[in-house]
Amino acid sequence: MTRKRKRYPSLQQKLERPWCYYCERDFDDLKILISHQKAKHFKCDRCGRRLNTAGGLSVHMNQVHKEPLTQVENAISGRQGLDVEIFGMEGVPQDVIEQHIRDVEIQHFEEEQERARISGNPIRSQYPSASGQSGAKRARVKESLEEIVARAEKFRDDKAKGILPVRAPAPAVEVTPQVPPPAVPVVGAPVTQTPPFAPGAQAFPLPGAPPPIASFPPGQQFPPAPPGFAQPPGFPGAPPFAAGPPGVAAPPGFPPVAPPPGFAPPSAISASVDELISSATADTAPEKKEKPKKEKNIKLVYFDESISPEEKMARLPRFAATVRT
Amino acid sequence: MNCCMPSQYVDFPDPGGPMTNCAKGMMADLVLKKVKRNDAADKGASSSAGHGTTFRRTAPNHRSDTRPFVSHRDLTSSATMSSQFELAQNPTDAISSVNFSPYTPTRLLVSSWDKNVYLYDTHSEPGGQLLQTFEHPAPVLDVCFGRSDDEAFSCGLDWEVRRIDLTSGEMTVLSTHDAGVRRVVFSKKHNLLVSGGWDATLHLHDLETPGEFAVVRVESKVFSLSVSATKLVVAMANRAVNIYELDALKKAAGRGGEAQVEPWQKRESSMKYMTRAVSCMPNDDGYASSSIEGRVAVEWFDPSEESQKRKYAFKCHRQAIEGQDVVYPVNALAFHPVYGSFASGGGDGVVSLWDGVNKRRIRQYQRFPASIASLAFSENGKHLAVGVSPGFEDGQEDMADGAIKVFIREISETEAQGKKK
Repeated sequence: MTRKRKRYPSLQQKLERPWCYYCERDFDDLKILISHQKAKHFKCDRCGRRLNTAGGLSVHMNQVHKEPLTQVENAISGRQGLDVEIFGMEGVPQDVIEQHIRDVEIQHFEEEQERARISGNPIRSQYPSASGQSGAKRARVKESLEEIVARAEKFRDDKAKGILPVRAPAPAVEVTPQVPPPAVPVVGAPVTQTPPFAPGAQAFPLPGAPPPIASFPPGQQFPPAPPGFAQPPGFPGAPPFAAGPPGVAAPPGFPPVAPPPGFAPPSAISASVDELISSATADTAPEKKEKPKKEKNIKLVYFDESISPEEKMARLPRFAATVRT
Repeated sequence: MNCCMPSQYVDFPDPGGPMTNCAKGMMADLVLKKVKRNDAADKGASSSAGHGTTFRRTAPNHRSDTRPFVSHRDLTSSATMSSQFELAQNPTDAISSVNFSPYTPTRLLVSSWDKNVYLYDTHSEPGGQLLQTFEHPAPVLDVCFGRSDDEAFSCGLDWEVRRIDLTSGEMTVLSTHDAGVRRVVFSKKHNLLVSGGWDATLHLHDLETPGEFAVVRVESKVFSLSVSATKLVVAMANRAVNIYELDALKKAAGRGGEAQVEPWQKRESSMKYMTRAVSCMPNDDGYASSSIEGRVAVEWFDPSEESQKRKYAFKCHRQAIEGQDVVYPVNALAFHPVYGSFASGGGDGVVSLWDGVNKRRIRQYQRFPASIASLAFSENGKHLAVGVSPGFEDGQEDMADGAIKVFIREISETEAQGKKK
């Protein structure tokens, strides 16, 4: 009946989960949500009867217990009103739905980011095989034995000279037997751009941002790709990772996400995480600010380090005549 | 969560039970958070609920006519609902303590700042019957029953610990502290009376040897005492808590004079603020304590690391007023003698029932008209006495005006029972 829950559900799966308007809790199944609402929000505290809606409970309280129902129990602040008729996912106001989707998305990306940081793996949706576009198979390479030997020779030669191999991203390269090995000796700027990490990663889109980014035309803001280093269509020149994510025009709801760790110096990571956090909190700022404020804003009715209320009371003039001193 | 429930509720804290500490801790967080969030919501609802109860009792005929749709189920459930009444004759000044007799479930002692101790029979007539009053020279801070229904012990601001013969009204001074005496407790099993005062001493009276008493020095002023079957818990100023073994105290009491009794355990309160009240679990496994900062902590005697890990504290008796969290002291704690759940009473006038094992609030009663000064369950657990009087708050020049009343709440069969299975 229900799909097996994945350990790390995708954003889509998370968004599909039914959730409770009153307490923002999400559930595997609509049925569970409804029974939750009946038990937590629409239950009569006088007789335990579970009603289907807040309106139903209100009528029940009025008729059976002769008491008006003022608010929905266990609801988060601002959602206690009786004016919204909620049953399961029905009746939830559109703006609340949108806010929920935003929250889920933000949380999803934060979780992915955190997982990537801890595990050191690239974010899942960035695996070439995961998305359809980069999932295209590598072109089959046909090489004769001599060519392989020649290529190996060249590799050793390059290595001795300190030139790093650069492998063109597979999908766009038409590899024919005649083409010289893709390791093109590069001098100058591009070398600094391509530290010795998995070379294929260059072709990855910026993590977190959906692949086609048209905001910067290739070769304008970034050094042009080295010769012989073919670009997949629609992809910008490999951005210098060390700079962190530039002002990527991400679609709304998709916070800019820092590149996977190990690809950038720690300072860049923390900077970009800061950016991530600030952008994530920007949306929900008014909500989150209230809580810590409330924590601080506490008034003790009685406070003293070591004198109990009774001791102070005993000092009141009215008891002075009888209290022994 | 089912796996975590003790198989029998009566087993209460169930040391080494099937539940892992880690799971318990997690649950605590979860449930207590939930409780916190619902506090405000519940208060509103429950106070209106309370009005309903009184209304129903006074004018039942009027109501039945105006009920159009009442299912069978609703009728039965409202019929079993517990009720509550206030005593007809109440003290004239703030109440300091209420205590039920351990021998007769309807005998109640109340001590007051009006210098009197009141003895009631709570059920011989509607509103209870005031059997007798015993006047003291100064405000009385605590009173408890002794070896029988005819014996009581009191203490107060005349620095004296007294024995009261409830039949003849005769009072005898047992000992004198060097400052006000805050609490007096009696252990029936050990035949031992312990008083604790602001002079930072405990006086031990072995009732088998009248006239003799021993003095035990403690770290700080005594604010609360509670006895279980084998232990005495002393809550003091500066967040100190001492746990004594009654056997050791009994021996010391027999020797008399200045006694050196090492506490079985010395603890620091797990709460940051001044301790207000302490109460032992009826099954002798641990105790609950409360602070002036709307918080209750539950701890276990067993010093093993495993048991100590189980201790927890939670916030309660708070009220959000215009974005500000107003925090009330938790003045009173009382354990239900049968189910092992406990009641807390706060400066906000609210009494809540808690299931200490499952870390849940069972119930929260209607707001009482003033601060809760004292709570006591009757020996059979069928009644809860609630001493209500204006509490002392910061910046107060004199006693605030407000209701001074003792309420008796009937606790129905399942009312104080925690979650089963």
